[in-house]
Amino acid sequence: MDIDVLAHGIVAGSLYALVAVSFNILYRPTNVFNFAQGELVMLGAMIFASLTSLAGMPWLVAFAGTLVAVGCIGLVEERIAVAPILARSQTGTGWVITTLATSLIISNLVGRFWGPDPILVKPPALLSMDSLDIGASRISSYEIALVLVTLVLVAIVERVYRTLKGKAVMAVAEDREAALLRGIDPGSLGRWSFFLGAAFAAMTGVLAAPILYASTSLGPDLLLKGFAAAAVGSIGNNRGALIAGYVIGVTEAVGASLLSPGYQEAVIFIVVLAVLLLKPEGLFGSPNARTV
Amino acid sequence: MKATVSLPLLSATNVDAGYGHVRVLESVSIDVRQGRIVVLVGRNGAGKSTLLRALSGLNRPTAGKVTFDGRDITTARPNAIVDAGLLHVAEGRRLFRRQSVADNIELGRYALRLTEQEHDRRVDRIHQLFPILQEKMNLPAGSLSGGQQQMLAIAQAMMREPKLLMLDEPSLGLAPVLVDQVFAAILALRAQGVAILLVEQLVEHALEIADDAYVMQNGRVIASGPAAEIAAGDALQAAFMGEHGAPHHPEPRQSGS
Ligand SMILES: Nc1ncnc2c1ncn2[C@@H]1O[C@H](COP(=O)(O)OP(=O)(O)OP(=O)(O)O)[C@@H](O)[C@H]1O
Ligand SMILES: [Mg+2]
Repeated sequence: MDIDVLAHGIVAGSLYALVAVSFNILYRPTNVFNFAQGELVMLGAMIFASLTSLAGMPWLVAFAGTLVAVGCIGLVEERIAVAPILARSQTGTGWVITTLATSLIISNLVGRFWGPDPILVKPPALLSMDSLDIGASRISSYEIALVLVTLVLVAIVERVYRTLKGKAVMAVAEDREAALLRGIDPGSLGRWSFFLGAAFAAMTGVLAAPILYASTSLGPDLLLKGFAAAAVGSIGNNRGALIAGYVIGVTEAVGASLLSPGYQEAVIFIVVLAVLLLKPEGLFGSPNARTV
Repeated sequence: MKATVSLPLLSATNVDAGYGHVRVLESVSIDVRQGRIVVLVGRNGAGKSTLLRALSGLNRPTAGKVTFDGRDITTARPNAIVDAGLLHVAEGRRLFRRQSVADNIELGRYALRLTEQEHDRRVDRIHQLFPILQEKMNLPAGSLSGGQQQMLAIAQAMMREPKLLMLDEPSLGLAPVLVDQVFAAILALRAQGVAILLVEQLVEHALEIADDAYVMQNGRVIASGPAAEIAAGDALQAAFMGEHGAPHHPEPRQSGS
């Protein structure tokens, strides 16, 4: 296999893994898939692009501002579109509709605000998108950094789940009622998870922007492939999401190098379907499968 | 805050509760006084678990009033009720089976601010009462035997030093020697000043260690009084339709052992 194809597959796969992790953060205490997650990623990229490229803010300030802003949007979504549904029934699936509706609302509003042209976003200082000449690969320093940062981020997220609050989230995921009886408030953990999951999605958008450009059409594609990575890697399992992200990214890159462009999406879906048909719970088991 | 000595620790008055539109409890009243063991008996489906769920806020009462330690908790949320010192160890040992024994114990003190000394003192107390748990701290809770799981469920509640501990069928599915251990633990907790509200199918055994008793049938309390009087009275026979004292578990249920 061409090393360059592999490298770009890993880069794309890292982004898919990050989207998948953002799904998982939200899913763990709520059992809700946020179908607006792709649009939150897009919002992260667009807000960040506007703050830096258009408003000229320093990288770090714009980064922090973007995360907080999108985190708050996630929180508002939880309050308006998710909490009322879960209050009625913990096992209801009305959130499928309401989170999809949130997604449509965001993508419509954004279209009015920003227009269709992609915005170029420069990597932070010291990094660049110019390809380095390492052997046959044409990968850039920013792309290498992105792959490493992804590994660090997944490790940090997993670390958070080893704190008492994180363990409480896992407890809610396993048995919500038992958690209630231990004084754990699932509602509060759900709100936190929506805030953090949305902020994480925004961060994914910021990280993706130098590679994919910030554009209002970023959402659906990342939603789909991120969701695929979450499902293949087993919902709720972040390490699984990382590996599944790589699998999907590499499959896509290999498909693109061998097949005509129209077919690369199809290749991904064949792989995802094949995995889910053979192992419906994903490749890495589900640490959240309900036993009660 | 300051409960007068004569007032019961927990007092439920004319409580109705159920599941959604299904009403199970009809005008149930019970009192639990400080430091007493109160046993709640009745056949399958009498509403014993539903009553505990109503008291711990899982099934909010639709009528009536519940006060605990001088506070009205009728519509309080479960975590507020836990914070007030009313702990409920639910039917079927609902542990976090994937997490370690140590983590389960830690989760017992979630959102509680304890000094390190106080924390260690509470963990030591648990290990004194249930030495077997000390050996299993790093194993997943799901790998424990049924009896050990019951001990762990009680241990979780002990991390909060409850004023009142409600136990729903702690002996279910346990070997006799483990039942004795669990009952011994209940007595030890009372000796530490913890009030106990115990739902048990081992009726005779439970009445032996209890101070007070309530008999439930079809979602109502049909008799109450000192445990010894209830043990000798007719209501018990009526409630169990002549099968006095026999453990009523016709259908096998999850035992987790
Ligand atoms: N989740 C539920 N939804 C609807 N009805 C329920 C539910 N759980 C219990 N019930 C009903 O409530 C009634 C009382 O049940 P409950 O579990 O309180 O009885 P119990 O006295 O604890 O019995 P057991 O000894 O079998 O534990 C029963 O008729 C039961 O069918
Ligand atoms: Mg019951």
